[in-house]
Amino acid sequence: MKEFDIEKLERKNIYKVPDHLFANIQENVMNDIKTSKKAPVFKLNWMYAAAASVALIFGMTYVLNSDNDSAEKGLTSDTAYAANKGEPKTEGELAYETLKADLTSADNNNQTVVNQGSNVDYAFKNEKEKTEASPKSVKATPKKDEAKMNDYLDSFSNSEIAELASNSTQDVYLDLYN
Amino acid sequence: MKIKDAEIISLMQNPRTQEKGVRALMDAYQSRLYWHIRRIIVDGDLAQDTLQETFIKAYQNFHQFKNDSQLYTWLYRIATNEALQQVNKMNKMKKTDEDAEYHMQNLVADNTEGSAEEIQILLQNAIQSLPEKQKLVFMMRYYDDLPYEEISKIVDMSVGTLKTNYHYAKQKIEEFIKENYER
Repeated sequence: MKEFDIEKLERKNIYKVPDHLFANIQENVMNDIKTSKKAPVFKLNWMYAAAASVALIFGMTYVLNSDNDSAEKGLTSDTAYAANKGEPKTEGELAYETLKADLTSADNNNQTVVNQGSNVDYAFKNEKEKTEASPKSVKATPKKDEAKMNDYLDSFSNSEIAELASNSTQDVYLDLYN
Repeated sequence: MKIKDAEIISLMQNPRTQEKGVRALMDAYQSRLYWHIRRIIVDGDLAQDTLQETFIKAYQNFHQFKNDSQLYTWLYRIATNEALQQVNKMNKMKKTDEDAEYHMQNLVADNTEGSAEEIQILLQNAIQSLPEKQKLVFMMRYYDDLPYEEISKIVDMSVGTLKTNYHYAKQKIEEFIKENYER
């Protein structure tokens, strides 16, 4: 082709077009518009988003911290309440107190099995109320042995006695129930 | 056309009649815009999606339309941007410009009606071989007969540059057809 002028060529659309093209396009557009009207999309300013994030972080931190504080306070107050309430002491505590009372009065020559028995009775008093179990009879220590024991204990200093008492809590406890 | 544009604008600006306005807008411009997009993209389905997106964007952003420009100029601008985005997406998948040009010529072959004349097919292939700006200017001037002043507003180029681009585009197309026409 030697000479060709594009301006003389007929303007034609040569591409295939599907049926009902424009009807479909209009329907799709209108559906999209109606959907977007029903569910409006809010454009969120990034500054507001950042502020909201910071507020959320601080809020969560405050809530978590306040929960921990209240839990700790609650625990402390519970402990204090239990201590002040005058609830029956545990068997171990009672046994320890009994032993302590015995040891501090070890140099008392008038101490007899009867006295010790009264201590044991004291130890059992609360326990009896709590469990309503029949107390086991405590064997009275013979007077001779008691005197020997007192002499032996006299040879200890107060600090040694205290140490011995703390180590022997369990043994005494078991003895009491034999 | 002027009166009709004024009616469409009035309907679109009123929230109660906006949907009616969109319908009027589509009735008035769907064909012109479709062929404008189709010549850029070539693929039929993609062109349909792009035209739909053009109308949806026009509806969503109608508050940005200024009465100092023509309605069709504004719509052409949206449609051109949408179509170019689609072409760029397609070209990203191609390694070289030659691959992209080859792909577009294949699309032309696949989308052409069986009854199309050879010279018309050659013309479309020649258009697809042009650089992007020359292609846009040529199509809007040659097929839509838009004044250079309006094309200038659509593609943000000076009238002088547009005239030069059109001249070069026409020369290249004529050369392409001369070389490839086999009759």
